Amino acid sequence: MINLGGVTRLDRRAFLRVAGAATGAAAVGGIPEIVRAQKAPSFPKGTKLNILEWVSFVPASDVEFKRLAAEFGKLAGVDVTVDLINMNDLNPRIASAIETKSGPDIIMMISNWPHLYADGLADVDDLAEEIAKRDGAYYEHNKKVSVVGGSWKAVPLCSVPSTWAYREDWFKEAGASKFPDTWDEWRKVGIALKKKNQPMGQAFGHSLGDPNNWAYSVTWGFGGSEIDHSGKVIINSKETIEAVKFTVAAWKDCLDEGGLAWDDSSNNRAYLAGTISGTINGASIYFVAKRQFPDIAKVTGHGHMPKGPGGRFYNIGGQGRAVMKYSKNQQVAKEFLRWFMDRPQYDKWMAANDGYTVGPTPYWERHPLWEKDPKLIPFREASKFGRWPGYPGTPSRKASEALVKYILVDMYAQAIKGMKAEDAVKWAESELKKAYA
Amino acid sequence: MAVRYGSPLKRAVTFYIPLTVMVGATLFPFYWMVITSIRPDSELYNVKMNPFFTLHPTFKHFQDLFELTMFPQWAWNTLFIAVVSTGISLFCGLLAGYALARLQFRWAPSLGTVIFITYLVPPTLLFIPLGDVVKAFGIGDTPWAVILTYPTFLIPFCTWLLMGYFKTIPREIEDCARIDGASRIQAMVRISFPLAVPGILSAGIFAFTLSWNEFLYALVFLSSPQQKTIPIGVFTELVRGDVFYWGPLMAGALLGSIPVALVYSFFVEHYVTALTGAVKG
Amino acid sequence: MANQIEPILAKSATTGAPAIAAPVVVAVPQSRRPRGLGHFLEQEHILAGALLAPTLVILTLFIAYPFVLGIWLAVSDKVVGRPGNFVGLHNFWVNLNDTIFLRAFQNTFVYTFIATVLKLALGMGAALLLNHHFRFKRIVRAGMLLPWIVPTVLSTLAWQWMFDATFSVFNWTLMNVGLISQRILWLGDGTMAMGCLVLVNVWRGMPFFAITLLAGLQTVNPDLHEAAEIDGANAWQRFWRVTLPLIKPIMLVVVLFSMIATFADFQLIYVLTRGGPYSSTHVFGTYAYEIAMRAAKLGQGASISLFLFPFLLMIIVFQLWYIRRSD
Repeated sequence: MINLGGVTRLDRRAFLRVAGAATGAAAVGGIPEIVRAQKAPSFPKGTKLNILEWVSFVPASDVEFKRLAAEFGKLAGVDVTVDLINMNDLNPRIASAIETKSGPDIIMMISNWPHLYADGLADVDDLAEEIAKRDGAYYEHNKKVSVVGGSWKAVPLCSVPSTWAYREDWFKEAGASKFPDTWDEWRKVGIALKKKNQPMGQAFGHSLGDPNNWAYSVTWGFGGSEIDHSGKVIINSKETIEAVKFTVAAWKDCLDEGGLAWDDSSNNRAYLAGTISGTINGASIYFVAKRQFPDIAKVTGHGHMPKGPGGRFYNIGGQGRAVMKYSKNQQVAKEFLRWFMDRPQYDKWMAANDGYTVGPTPYWERHPLWEKDPKLIPFREASKFGRWPGYPGTPSRKASEALVKYILVDMYAQAIKGMKAEDAVKWAESELKKAYA
Repeated sequence: MAVRYGSPLKRAVTFYIPLTVMVGATLFPFYWMVITSIRPDSELYNVKMNPFFTLHPTFKHFQDLFELTMFPQWAWNTLFIAVVSTGISLFCGLLAGYALARLQFRWAPSLGTVIFITYLVPPTLLFIPLGDVVKAFGIGDTPWAVILTYPTFLIPFCTWLLMGYFKTIPREIEDCARIDGASRIQAMVRISFPLAVPGILSAGIFAFTLSWNEFLYALVFLSSPQQKTIPIGVFTELVRGDVFYWGPLMAGALLGSIPVALVYSFFVEHYVTALTGAVKG
Repeated sequence: MANQIEPILAKSATTGAPAIAAPVVVAVPQSRRPRGLGHFLEQEHILAGALLAPTLVILTLFIAYPFVLGIWLAVSDKVVGRPGNFVGLHNFWVNLNDTIFLRAFQNTFVYTFIATVLKLALGMGAALLLNHHFRFKRIVRAGMLLPWIVPTVLSTLAWQWMFDATFSVFNWTLMNVGLISQRILWLGDGTMAMGCLVLVNVWRGMPFFAITLLAGLQTVNPDLHEAAEIDGANAWQRFWRVTLPLIKPIMLVVVLFSMIATFADFQLIYVLTRGGPYSSTHVFGTYAYEIAMRAAKLGQGASISLFLFPFLLMIIVFQLWYIRRSD
C-alpha cells in the first residue's frame, strides 16, 4: 500500500504539471495542443490503452466513442483499443481483471460499482475535481457512487435516466392532457386507461433496470427508504407499507398483469406493440419507435416520475469510468479521460447519444440537442431528482447485496402475489438486516 | 432389434403419431427461430399477426448480422477453438482411457475416480482462480486461453467414454499381435486404437459440442471483438441494454448451429454404432 | 451382462481384469527389439505413466490450483480486490440462514430430479421410436440433435420470446384455438416459471439421451425378444424385462453425466428468469453467480458453489457403487 501510495503521489506531480499545460491549451481551445503538450514526456512509443465499456443501446454512441478513442490514439501516439460487451456481462470481466491484475486500463462503472471494486481502482481525485471546477458540481448521485471513503474512484461519465414513456393520444382520451404530476393523479388516469384495455406496464421480475426503477422510486416517493444515513435498516415504516399498498392497488387497476414475468426488454416490446399505454424506461423505446414505428413515436411523450408524499425521486446510479489500479498506463488512461471529458469531445459524444445519456454536471443541460426535440426534456431534468441505491446512506457494497438479492423488488412482487403488505415489508426488513449486517 | 410392421393403423398409433409429436416438439423452437430471423421487425412487434408465418420474408436480419458484427470471424474462431480443444482432449482421453482400462498399475482405480471428480467442479467457481493460470501462461485474450481450459471439463468425459470402449475390445486381439512380435506400443497404436475409432468419434462429437457452446470461460478470457466466439459475440453485442436485436440474434443462432448439425448428420450413424460399441460385451 | 457393465466402470478396472493379462505380458519375447525407450515402455506401470502424463499435466495445471484456491475462497471472507481472511465455516452458516439460498437449494434438487427423470423417460421414448426403420431416418436423427447444438444462450432467448407475457406464441395459439380466454403468464409465477425452466432444460438435454440410448438399444439381441415373445411376454414386459436390463449400464452413465450438468446449470436460468420472479427460481449456479459477481463477495459465492460439491460427490459414489453392485 505504501508503495502504491508513493506511485500515486508521483503520478500526481507529473499530472499537475501536465494539467497546467492542458488547462492553458484548453483556454485557447486547441484540443490537439492539449495532447501534444503532454505527448512527449508521458507516452513512450508503443504505449497501449485498452478500454472496456458496455454495448450502448444507441449504436451511434458506440461508433462515436470508438472514433474518439482512435482520434485520441492518433493525437497522443497511443495504441487505443475498445472492447464492448453487454452490461450484464461486465461484472465477471471486472472481477477477473482485478483478481488477476491484468486487463483493460479503463473500465466503465455502472451505478455504485466504484464502491464494489474500490480496492482495484486507482484514485482519480484531481481529474474528477478539475472537471467539476470547469463544468460545475456533479449531480449528487454521480458523486455519491464515485467517491469511496473520501477519494474519487471513477470519473463520472453520464446518467441514463428512465422516465415515463407514454401515449399522449390515449392519455388525452383518458382525460390527461399531460403526464400526471403525482402518484394519486397517476393512479386515477391509470384506472381510466386500464378500463379501456390500455394499461400501463411495469416489470417486477429479476432484471437490473426497470424493476428497480419502480421499487426504489416509489419507496422513496412515499417517504420510505431501506436504511437511514448511518446505515441502520428502517424499511419497516408506515411509509413503505403505504408504498406497497399503493403498488398492489396499482397492479390491479392500472398495470398490465404480465409484469411479474417481465424483464428490462419486455416493456419496450409491449409498448411498441401498442399493448401498454405507458412505462418507465430510458429513451430507448422512443428511439426505436422513431426508427421503426414512426406512428407510435409521433404520439409518444415523456413524463416525470410522479411525486409522492415524500417527493419526486429517480433511481439513477449514473455511469463513470475508472482507471484500474493494476494498469501500467494510468497516466495515459487519465489523459484519455481528461481529453474525453473536455467539452469539444464530450459534446460530440453526447450529440451522438441524442438524449439517451445526460451529462454528469448541470453544464450539459445547456447542450443544444435538448432544444432539438422537446419530447426529451424530462430526461434532461431527471438527474436533479436522481438518487442512488442505499439512499440516504452511502451506495456501499452492502447496497449492492440488497440489489442483487432484489429485496425491494421482491417485496413488491410478493405483495402483488398476495402477501399482506405488512408481511412483505417485514420480510424485506429481515432480508435487509442480513444484507446490511 | 428387429421391429416388425403391424397393421397400418396400429403403426400409425404406436409409431407415426408419437414420432411426429416428438419431432414437432423438438423442432418447433427452430421453426420459431427461422421465422423470427426472416420476419420484418414491424411484424415481429405486431401481436395481432399470426406468428407462424410471414408473407414478407426478408433477409435483412442476416444482412445486419454480417454488417453489424464480425460474425464470420467469430464462426472461424469458434471452429478453430472447438477443433483444437477437442483434438487435445481426445488425444489425452485416448491415452488415459487406454492406460486406465488396459494397464496394470497400482493407482488405476483411484486415478480414474480423481479424473472423474474434476468434472464436478462448477465452472462458476473456477473461472476466477483459472484467470491466474491463464495470466501466468500469458495467453489471455488469445484462442489458447480457452483451448487449454476447455479440456479441463472435456478430458474427464473423453477418458471415461474411451475407457469403456477399450474394455469392450477383446484383450486377446492385442495379445495375438504381441505374440506375433509387435511391441506393447505397436499393439496399442495399430490394433487397439483403430478398433476404438467409433468411440473416438462419439467422444469427439460430445467434446466438440461443449466447446462450441461454452459461454463463461470464453466471456472472461476472450475480450477483443476479433477473438470472440459465436455465443459470446452474438449475445454480448446484439443484446443492447433493454433492446434485443431479435432478428440478427436468431439468424446468428441458426447460422451457428445448422452447419454443425449437417456435419453431425454424416457422423450420426457412426456415432450410433460407436456408442453401440461401448456396451457390447 | 458382466461384460456389458464392466467397460464403463473405472472401479472395476483392476478387479475385473482378466487374469491372463499379466502372464501374457511376461511371456512376450522381447529380444528382437532394441533395448532403450521401447523396452523401457514395455513395463506396464511406466507405459501407464507415460500415457497418463498429458492428462495429468493438463488437469494439474488447470484444475488443481484453481480447485484448491476455490476451496480457500469458500472458507474466507474474500471480496473482489481485497485479500481474504480465513473465516472457517462462517460462509456456510450464513447460507443456511439465508432464505433465498434455501429456496435455491430446494430448487436445484427439484430442477435436477424432474428434468433428469423427464429427459430419461422422453429420451427413452424417442430412442425406441428412432429405432424403427422409416424414411428420412438419418435426417430425423440429425435433426433431433439440433437443440443440443445451438448455443444455449441463444436458444434460451428464443424460448424467452415464446414465453413472453405479450408475444407468447403458445398463448396466441391457445387463444385462437379457444382453449383459454386469459393469457397464461408463463414466467410470472414461481411454480410455473420452474416448470418452464424444466421444459427448456428437457428440450435441450433430451436429444443427448435419445441418441445415446438409441445406441444402447441397437446392441439388444433381437433373439432375446423373440424368445420372450414366444414365452408370452407382451411389449411392455419385453421392454421392462429384456431391453431395460440390457441397456441399463449405458443409461446409468448418461444419467450420471446429465445429472452433474443439470445440477450445476447456470446459463439457462440466468437468461430466462435470473432467479425471478421473487427469487423463486434461483438455483445454486445462479445465486452463487449473483453473490460472487454482482455483489463481488467471492468467498460467499464460492461457499454457495461448493455446497454442490459434497452432494455431487455423494451422487457419484452412490452411482458407482450401484453400477458395481449390479455387476
